[in-house]
Amino acid sequence: MVALGMILPFLHDFALAEPKRLTEDGILKRDPYFVDGGKGLIYGYDEQDDLVRVLRLDLETGKSEPFVPDVGDKHHIEPKLSPDGRFMSVTECTGNLTAKLVIRNLEERKDVYITHSGRGGTRSPVFTPDSKRVVYAFAETGPQQLWSVQIDGKEKKQLTQCEGVSNWPSFTPDGKRIVFSNSRENNYEIYSMSADGTDEKRLTENTIMDIRPVVSPDGSQIAFTSTRDGGYNVYVMKIDGTNVRALTAGLDRDDYPAWHPDGRHVVIVSEKGGRFDLYLHEVPPGAVNPDGKPLADTGS
Amino acid sequence: MIGVGDFKANDCNGLSRRSFLKTAAAVPFAMGAGLPSLLDVQAAQERGRAKSVILLWLWGGPSHIDTFDPKPDAPMDYRGPFGTIPTKIPGVHFTEMLPRLAQRNDKFSLIRSMVTTDGGHPGAGTIGVTGFKESPTVHPNFGSIIAKHRGNSGALPPFFYLGRGIPRDLPRRIEGYGGGTLGKAYDPFLVSCSQHGDVNIPTLKMLDGITPNRIQDRKKLLDQLDAAHRTLDGARIDDWEKTHQAAYGLLTDPKAKDAFDLTREKEKTRESYGQTAFGQSCLLARRLAQVGVPYIQVNWSEYVETFTPNGDWGWDTHIYNFELLQDRHCPILDRAFSALLDDLYDRGMMEDTLVVAMGEFGRTPKISKRAAREHHQHCYFSIWAGAGVQPGRTIGESDARAERPLTEPISPLMAGTTIAELCGVGAQQRAEMKVLDGGSVINELL
Repeated sequence: MVALGMILPFLHDFALAEPKRLTEDGILKRDPYFVDGGKGLIYGYDEQDDLVRVLRLDLETGKSEPFVPDVGDKHHIEPKLSPDGRFMSVTECTGNLTAKLVIRNLEERKDVYITHSGRGGTRSPVFTPDSKRVVYAFAETGPQQLWSVQIDGKEKKQLTQCEGVSNWPSFTPDGKRIVFSNSRENNYEIYSMSADGTDEKRLTENTIMDIRPVVSPDGSQIAFTSTRDGGYNVYVMKIDGTNVRALTAGLDRDDYPAWHPDGRHVVIVSEKGGRFDLYLHEVPPGAVNPDGKPLADTGS
Repeated sequence: MIGVGDFKANDCNGLSRRSFLKTAAAVPFAMGAGLPSLLDVQAAQERGRAKSVILLWLWGGPSHIDTFDPKPDAPMDYRGPFGTIPTKIPGVHFTEMLPRLAQRNDKFSLIRSMVTTDGGHPGAGTIGVTGFKESPTVHPNFGSIIAKHRGNSGALPPFFYLGRGIPRDLPRRIEGYGGGTLGKAYDPFLVSCSQHGDVNIPTLKMLDGITPNRIQDRKKLLDQLDAAHRTLDGARIDDWEKTHQAAYGLLTDPKAKDAFDLTREKEKTRESYGQTAFGQSCLLARRLAQVGVPYIQVNWSEYVETFTPNGDWGWDTHIYNFELLQDRHCPILDRAFSALLDDLYDRGMMEDTLVVAMGEFGRTPKISKRAAREHHQHCYFSIWAGAGVQPGRTIGESDARAERPLTEPISPLMAGTTIAELCGVGAQQRAEMKVLDGGSVINELL
């Protein structure tokens, strides 16, 4: 467990319920992900009108710098680091209407490109907790499914065979289950299944989207984005789908939740006054609203 | 939903006055062999009130079924993953990614039965902004027609493109971007606007460091322009003179210069549009309309390509259709377009400002094997507000899978004719200019 207050001197008031703004530029951002035990944060950033690249925010200095140098004109989105810190996965735009999953060995500076036939793009790569494989979403010949591949690019296999669009896989810390979203019920709902694709359980049920589920470091909770209250907002629920709590509210967009390694904070890309920045939210330990008042279980 | 004339139109009050007028006027027309009825004369007098047109050009082909014409009861391989939400108009639903516009569709009318005749971007793009195919003759852009009709308003050109460049795909730009048969004099004047609201005029790129906000000294500018002029060879001087004159006028006229300075807006207003190039361009469009520019086309992007090296996120979502609409395109559009509508209403500009939003076509309702959508020219949407357009209507209806209109199709030529009519370019003037031949007005909007 990381002592957030000791490594983030400028976050001295992190314990307060008020979210802490981590960036100030207001530029469109996406896909934040904590690295280096919570000392840094990598995220996608609209560097130009026609280029999204990955930056690393140093949480000790508050400065952001390019995380992947020399990207040229290739968009990079959805970056992740393996739990052992040796590999990076990212979705790279490799040509016209084409994007590939890249698994980069950070020590040897070698890239492995995961290829499928024809045009298309991989989505939402995530490492298995043992750092041996990457699970991602791809539509090979029809409905978008979840796939798994070794970090050396071998043993690619399809994990799901279901209708609708599947996306945003996230592992429980023990690696035994995958939480993800699927649209077979007319909109995105969140599901949980065994890592081999069996034993599926539905965790949410409503008429609008529940997307980008991310399992907390201790495996007890899931942060996710939903439009259930009008705009894009971020919620937290127990790993079984109960005890849903809103971290944000309102029409201004709050999206892309990512857990801090301490398991008590979630970083969110929030659009406030038309400007997109990273905000660190404290996750209430119990069932309470952002205003601190107790919240009855809203169900899922 | 009620059937009126050629189209189905509904609003929250049932049969509209204009629809009633059209129905009533049909009888004397049929009997009178084309003699205009009193009602039609009144209708004509009500038209032509648009002092300015703002066209939000959603370049690349936005998916109609994932935005303004959802089909939640269609088969799974058609309907897509998005839920639907109710709007201000009972019985009309949008997808969940457009909550602000859903609360404002009592301020605009939506056409769900647009059809075009070309399935490629440059071809359909030209049809979309001229009403005609690219060959054998390139017809004038709707904006060029209005520009010729109105002429210049002081130093400001009458027809602006706001965006990075002339709309194009990777191979080439569209042919119908400008004056066409009316001549290059009626080409649009290109101005770009960054996500920070910084305005740039690409035609002045030879003058390093010159931007509207930095012009403080008239003499200094003249010196710089003259210096640039001396570097040109003879063949380029004519072009330079035109550019020079327009740019010089823009940058030295206080009214024009002021129009480009978004810092004069309240911070809250700028924020409401969103810190995106499209959002700030919409704000700039409002400022240009405010000072009387007749036609402003806000281009969503220069390139149609959405996830491509150098592509600036057009609506051509052959890959990542669902992800990009949800992550980027719809939230940006929802915020900027809503802010524009609110701003125009709050300032009392809606009476004489016409706002139109559309792309060159829609996208295939059947989801592709790559979990995305391809080009679809057989059915798409357009949105209309202001300058006499009756708000709150849903005009036309697509079939159960959003593949084809169930009602009479509405073409880009009809859209252009309606824009012209609302700007006071009536049938007589159109005939004299030899433009929009054969076009008819979308009466259900009026």
